[in-house]
Amino acid sequence: MPGKNSIRKPTIKSISSNVEKHASQVEEAQGNQHMMSETIREADYEGHHIIVRTTYQIEVDGTPVTGHMGVTDDGKVHYHPVPNMSFASALDMVKQLIDIFPDDFNHTRPMPGMHADHKAKTRPGARPASTARTKKTARKTHAADK
Amino acid sequence: MPIRENILTSATARDKYIRGVKLLKNEFPGPTTASLGIGGPASLVSTYDLFVVWHHVAMTTFTPPTQNDRNAAHRGPVFLPWHRFMLLQLEMNLQRILGSDSAFGLPYWDWAQDGELSPVRQRTAAIWARNCMGGSGMPVTTGPFVFDSADPGSWRVRVAASVNGQLIQVNRGLRRRLGAPVQGLSETNRLPRKAHTATALNQPIFDAAPWSTASAGFRNLVEGWQNQPQIPSPSLHNRVHVFVGGDMSPSTSPNDPVFYLNHCNVDRIWERWMQPPPAGHGRVYAPAQSESARLKGHRLNDTLNSLLSGSTTPAEMLDVSEFYTYDSLNA
Repeated sequence: MPGKNSIRKPTIKSISSNVEKHASQVEEAQGNQHMMSETIREADYEGHHIIVRTTYQIEVDGTPVTGHMGVTDDGKVHYHPVPNMSFASALDMVKQLIDIFPDDFNHTRPMPGMHADHKAKTRPGARPASTARTKKTARKTHAADK
Repeated sequence: MPIRENILTSATARDKYIRGVKLLKNEFPGPTTASLGIGGPASLVSTYDLFVVWHHVAMTTFTPPTQNDRNAAHRGPVFLPWHRFMLLQLEMNLQRILGSDSAFGLPYWDWAQDGELSPVRQRTAAIWARNCMGGSGMPVTTGPFVFDSADPGSWRVRVAASVNGQLIQVNRGLRRRLGAPVQGLSETNRLPRKAHTATALNQPIFDAAPWSTASAGFRNLVEGWQNQPQIPSPSLHNRVHVFVGGDMSPSTSPNDPVFYLNHCNVDRIWERWMQPPPAGHGRVYAPAQSESARLKGHRLNDTLNSLLSGSTTPAEMLDVSEFYTYDSLNA
């Protein structure tokens, strides 16, 4: 295509070859899971250097929620798989996750008659076997540029 | 030269768009879920769904990886040029699959116009009619994107994000929860208003340090993070995602064809902002290439990657008059 821009008209062949070239980026993104997300916020004030480390570990019905979570400088939390909202409350955020991803929580719903507290008492700090092998998957990120 | 028109005033653009996205949804250029590292049995991935994957990957790529706010397409200055690039790629693929229809332009949804309606009427506005985008539901039950498990040609969501942020294979209908209550949102879930776009257009600067969701300027207001006294976050672009809900909520939001109508309107607002003074603020962008390497991916001449095509830069996206124009820049 003539013009000052480098964009070219696509063909099925060009799509196929470009996807093949970039497929590894998709695979890499698939590996982003974190048992614990840690955000490090830093600031300088009156000659002092401030570091605030925030970690969240989230469970719903005993099952860890392992997407990446962050905290911005104003203290709001955000969850990467829900990209258009920030929350003043992490609890509100998790409630919203249950609304947005209903299929991911249907199988974790407590059986009728089982009280949530009872379930928690019988499974203190429980982790599903499928995730217990993960010793350290914390991701440390800096929330602010200095 | 394609002219991008209002989907509510151009039946031709509306019908071509619906036909085109359905054709792309059922075109399979070769890549499979296995070749992309998506679990489950290997399945061919359609051209339409490759755009879904591309958006998700950009969103899960921190720029740079040592912070957790900006990603390769959002929460930073590149938000507008990155999505302009994505829309251009989709538009060119629609032109191709509609039979080399080089005059086809993506339609836009002037959501702020609907935002002037009462919250109840916003949920039944013309955009949600059976002959347009269809309505609400889990899955939607009206319009061109209704799911029929027995009809392989019906609209279906095949690749979605899980709660843990991984792409997974699904086989289900499109979901929307128009105007439904949202946890943590104290006010009514409603669309942005004309006064909100006017406030964004009056922002004198494009973007500013710290180049994130905490920035002043046009980009952060139109993306929807900035809190203004009369426009609490989420606002403008973000608010539209939140209003539609369902599949418009996660990082795989291009699963809903409304995604492109939203972003085409955002692009139109940006084009209005870039008009020469006094109507706009000129074709200016920040940060410059001379800014810190910690802003890599968001500076003027940094590379914007695509899953389906070659790359571009924010600089190349500032003037795209060789590709399309809008029927109106009144926002």
